[in-house]
Amino acid sequence: MISRAARSEHVSGWLFVAPAALLIGIFGILPIGWAALLSFQNNDLLTTPTWVGTQNYHTLVNDPVFRQSVNHTIVYTLLFVPLSVGGSLGLAMLLNARIRFSWFYRTAVFIPVATSTVATGLIFNWLLEPTYGVANYLLGKVHLGPYGFFQNPDQALYSIVAMTVWGWLGFDVIVYLAALQGVPESLVEAARLDGAGRWATFRHVVFPLVSPATLFLIVWSTINALQVFDEIYVTTRGGPLHATTVMVYYLYSQAFEFFHAGYAAAIAEVLFAITLVFSLLQLWLGNRRVHYGS
Amino acid sequence: MRRLFLIAATALLVASAGCGGSSSSNGVVNVTVWHGYEDIEGKAMTSAAARFNATHPKIHVTVQNYGNADYALQKVLTAIRGGSYPDIAYLYGSWAANIARSPTAVDLTSRIKEPGVNWNDFWPAERQAVQVGGKVIGMPALVDNLALVYNKKLFDQAGIPYPTANWTWDDFRAAAQKLTDTSAKQFGWAYVADGSEDTVWRFDALLWQAGGDILNSDNTKAEFNSPAGVQAATLLQQMATVDHSVYLDNGNGNYANLFNSGKIAMLFTGPWDLSSFPDVDYGVQVLPGLTNHQTISGPDQWVLFNNGSQRTQAAWTFLKWFTSPQQALIWSTQTGDLPIRASETRLPGYQAYVKKYPGVSVFVQNEANALKARPVIANYNEVSQAMGQAIEAVLLGKGQPQQELDQAAQQADQTLATGQ
Repeated sequence: MISRAARSEHVSGWLFVAPAALLIGIFGILPIGWAALLSFQNNDLLTTPTWVGTQNYHTLVNDPVFRQSVNHTIVYTLLFVPLSVGGSLGLAMLLNARIRFSWFYRTAVFIPVATSTVATGLIFNWLLEPTYGVANYLLGKVHLGPYGFFQNPDQALYSIVAMTVWGWLGFDVIVYLAALQGVPESLVEAARLDGAGRWATFRHVVFPLVSPATLFLIVWSTINALQVFDEIYVTTRGGPLHATTVMVYYLYSQAFEFFHAGYAAAIAEVLFAITLVFSLLQLWLGNRRVHYGS
Repeated sequence: MRRLFLIAATALLVASAGCGGSSSSNGVVNVTVWHGYEDIEGKAMTSAAARFNATHPKIHVTVQNYGNADYALQKVLTAIRGGSYPDIAYLYGSWAANIARSPTAVDLTSRIKEPGVNWNDFWPAERQAVQVGGKVIGMPALVDNLALVYNKKLFDQAGIPYPTANWTWDDFRAAAQKLTDTSAKQFGWAYVADGSEDTVWRFDALLWQAGGDILNSDNTKAEFNSPAGVQAATLLQQMATVDHSVYLDNGNGNYANLFNSGKIAMLFTGPWDLSSFPDVDYGVQVLPGLTNHQTISGPDQWVLFNNGSQRTQAAWTFLKWFTSPQQALIWSTQTGDLPIRASETRLPGYQAYVKKYPGVSVFVQNEANALKARPVIANYNEVSQAMGQAIEAVLLGKGQPQQELDQAAQQADQTLATGQ
């Protein structure tokens, strides 16, 4: 038996979480269940869906474009995460130093994050235009190129990586700056007195102390990278020749260009599984390596 | 990277925007029309609704812009899925078969026989495009076709005579080469090479000129990998990868700006682009040909969606009025779009229209060269994508015409056989 006081506490507790639980339920849990059901259907969003069992999954296994999309997603993620997290730690260290106009540099680094993806995409489309773009013009001055960038199937995915790292670096820098401010000056000083050089101080004092931020950024960036979509939608639209077709883009085109909603849901389920595995792996590794202080 | 969630949210927003026109209050029936017109055409749309509302006190038409018409089908279908959708929507002709499967789309078969519609006055390509399996699923909204639009000044500078109606592929290719100047970053021609329908339909015209076809007569097997198809793809290959006389547009529409700034000498394009070329003295000619000078016509349609008999009737009244010869000519005169009815060319105001838009009369005459239509089948999108990838590969020098088209045909056959 629960006492009356405990019960009322119980009720008020539920009331407090109700709004959040309701929203997450409607926009999170419910669609997950619905998508799982959908993945076993032949559904064109128009006519009555039919039950097809695991057929969508069988088709997926033999779909060359789907396989490409998985490869592209993984290559993208393996490049994007280290470049953006590593790059931002370096930048944050520089910006954390006492230099003139540091407020200006910090703002400059963060502006791309606050810029709309559509605007970013349009700008990059022109910058990286092979014939008339500024990028090839400048590279030509130092006798490089010309490159096809978004129009060359061998370069398009890397161009997307470069554009998105530029776009998201600022966010990671802000997180790292906050973490770096939390590193006690006394510890750094103590290390120095003990004869540690710059690199040793960073390696043995600063880096372990910001490791919670590193874990967060790696997990967060990975989930984001696995679901990359907008930047591709506004630039290459999966092309040329599927070179930038990642999983979410392929899902989108199956669902909303060809109206194979069931098939698209099956892609979503596979993506969900991949994301889950990546995240669990990172958290497991993280728990062994991350220093959360005393 | 903000995930697909954003799209879903946008779709919801679009859907909720559509429920503005509810049922009758004080005896007035509200009708909502979705369109993707911008600028001049957008204003013409608003003014048409205002003229209609002024003369029809029992009906109130509201026009709403749904954004880029390329993505209208998914928006409308999402809205239908959400249960609140417009009474009328502007949709591309290539979607007719998809729309026909929706139980919400109103079958107009009996309505087009009403007096005053005069169905046979619409161009054949338009009538063909809206008929699916014995049903009429829309009213003609727009018709256009591809012709050769060229920059006169660049021809004069290169000392080449202007294109004639008898130009062959060889004439065209030779001229494009002469009009290309790599150092000045000037190209003879431009081609949209993103593998989309934009890539495919220009190829369709070449395929038909060479005597080929997209599918067989009962739409069960691909035929675009015939010798005619290979010939068409080879022309593209030679011009793009040997002559380098083609600017490859990656689907962002840069070609229009570049033509307007004198960097591109010739385009295969339609009347909708003419207003983007204010800085160029351009000429219009029928497409260069091989065995004939066929072009491709892209008729679009107004589709009616059932929101109850009262609203459907009101929406039909509006469409009938809007597509009448008088209103259609007002529209053409305001926007430069081609006449959707043959009888418009006999109305007294027609000469003023032709005078206002130089070159437009070539497009009107060119409508007679639009002999074939793309197949009206539900999985046309898949067939088109397979073709688009093949043509794109050829243009980018990543594949050979025969091999790429064969592979695409194999995919298309599979799609046609399984519906997947």
